[in-house]
Amino acid sequence: MIDNQIHLAREILRLRLSQLLINERYKARDFRVPIHLALGHEALAVALAEIMRDGDQILLPHRNLHYNLARTHSLKAIVAEFLLRKTGLARGKYGSMNLFNAEQGVLYASGILGNNLSVSAGVALAEKVTGSGAVTFVVTGDGAMEEGAFYETLIFLAGQSLASVVVVENNGWSLASRIDERRAPIDVERLAQGCGAGYRKLAGNDVFVYADALEQVRGDATNGKRPVVVEVALKTLGDWRQPTEEFPDGKYINYHAGPAPTTSVAPWPLLAADASDPLHVLCGHFGEAALKAEAETMLAALRKDVA
Amino acid sequence: MNYVDFVNQRIKAVTASKRLVVYGQNVSTGSCLSGLSRGFDKIPGHTVINTTNSEATLVGIGFGLMLRGVSSIFFMKQQDFLLLGIEQLSDTWNALRNRPVDASFTIAAIIVDSGWEGPQSCLNNLADITSVSRVPGFTVSNRADAEAVIDRHVHAPGVRIIGVSQRLLRTPLIEYGEPVTFGPDAGVVRYAEGGEATIVAYNLAFPQAMTLHQEFAKRGRKASLFSVSATMPESVDVILANVARTRRLAVVDDSKSVNSPACVLIAAAHARAPGLAAIEIGRHWTPDSSAPNADTLEIDVERVIDALGVTA
Repeated sequence: MIDNQIHLAREILRLRLSQLLINERYKARDFRVPIHLALGHEALAVALAEIMRDGDQILLPHRNLHYNLARTHSLKAIVAEFLLRKTGLARGKYGSMNLFNAEQGVLYASGILGNNLSVSAGVALAEKVTGSGAVTFVVTGDGAMEEGAFYETLIFLAGQSLASVVVVENNGWSLASRIDERRAPIDVERLAQGCGAGYRKLAGNDVFVYADALEQVRGDATNGKRPVVVEVALKTLGDWRQPTEEFPDGKYINYHAGPAPTTSVAPWPLLAADASDPLHVLCGHFGEAALKAEAETMLAALRKDVA
Repeated sequence: MNYVDFVNQRIKAVTASKRLVVYGQNVSTGSCLSGLSRGFDKIPGHTVINTTNSEATLVGIGFGLMLRGVSSIFFMKQQDFLLLGIEQLSDTWNALRNRPVDASFTIAAIIVDSGWEGPQSCLNNLADITSVSRVPGFTVSNRADAEAVIDRHVHAPGVRIIGVSQRLLRTPLIEYGEPVTFGPDAGVVRYAEGGEATIVAYNLAFPQAMTLHQEFAKRGRKASLFSVSATMPESVDVILANVARTRRLAVVDDSKSVNSPACVLIAAAHARAPGLAAIEIGRHWTPDSSAPNADTLEIDVERVIDALGVTA
């Protein structure tokens, strides 16, 4: 158990440092493909990757870097993909938004909001038809769930009794618009239950809590032969303030895609001293000193990997 | 045997020994889409699902099944419903087209090529749908092209759309001439060989083209007759070679949109045989065309003969 906890903690560090290294090269204009960093999403990705079993599949949206890093233990292969090299994870043919790794169960990724939900319904149906016993995971967001595909997929999954986990990364933003700017609030729990799906809410960025909860959710989906919606409250870090004529003290810019200009790689990669940063939460388990030492060693190894 | 029963039985025959998911709205209930999807639930190994009314997701489901090695056919009552799945056809297919797959995904859609549905009859051109994403598409209108397309494509790995004529559903199956199939995709069928003109059918206009061929024969003129069932045929060289010999080309296309592969053929024919006589028999669009109407594509045979310079 302790060994596994250390493993998960290292994974969080690896995902954070890997993204920061990518961000540095992005800022240096090394990449031409659009990349959506997922700083602050690491605990969820690590926990999900941890509880997936052999044969399980995950279908991702355009912000997929954290899951690809979690399921692919090679930053080098992902950087090569972003550089569109043949040595890339997908032979340099898919870039970022459609990046997949079928060998590791990352079956498909879509650049279009809601698109992967519909495809996941077919994957879940295939598992039922073939009797594989595998569970299909699909990741979406609070913006994509506004698409009709979210509702269509839920009623199909529930109607066909398909074991599936629908993860909603709720960061409160769709590009530059907040939820309260674009729509009425949606009670995801009632929506899910109204469609015949289960529901679980996660918050707090504790990777150990998330892993336990997602393991239970996987069991619920399998035993109940139904979809379960997991709504995860999180914050996409990397935001900044940009001074303008109208906002001389800086206009708040929510991070959506591209390089995060004010975020830099550092031996200790903490980005926020609160629960919005999974690393901060991790300090509550292991203490900052131990994690700092681990981070320093890991950063050196990652730099060497992509040198 | 009528047209829809033949298409239904042919698809069942080529898929009978395979594991297959057959799905769509009302595919095994009611009229089973006028008989098009009837009886798949009686075949061992087939999973048949009467689905929700969720076309965007239903298209995505076929891709998801394909990714996991399960073949499927999505039967669709009207092609224009497929507009709701265009995003999946374009984005998903273009993300998957270079990935190796073992399974097939076929969309069999009834094209509303009669006019009584009014606005819903306006989208009668399969090429409109397939051109968006370069998904292979095939129309079937007679025994020869149905056999060629269904036998070659329905269980082949990858995706394609097969367009079925609503107008022809209950009509006797057309069997005509001495059909020969051409092209690696079986996208072109020749029904007759004649040296005085080349008649080519596009979309679902084979009945009209066949009538024109018969009218030529009544007048003692020998024409070649082709149909192009593929919306993006891998080759039309056999037609162009024929046109180079006859130097007279009549293209019959019942499509209502301006996106016509027939125009591409005419341009290619002019390039291959400069100075040839060519006529396109197609739609004359008016604002009333979208209102319910009989919607028959009439052919003025004498005008065609005049245009081609074929003296009776």
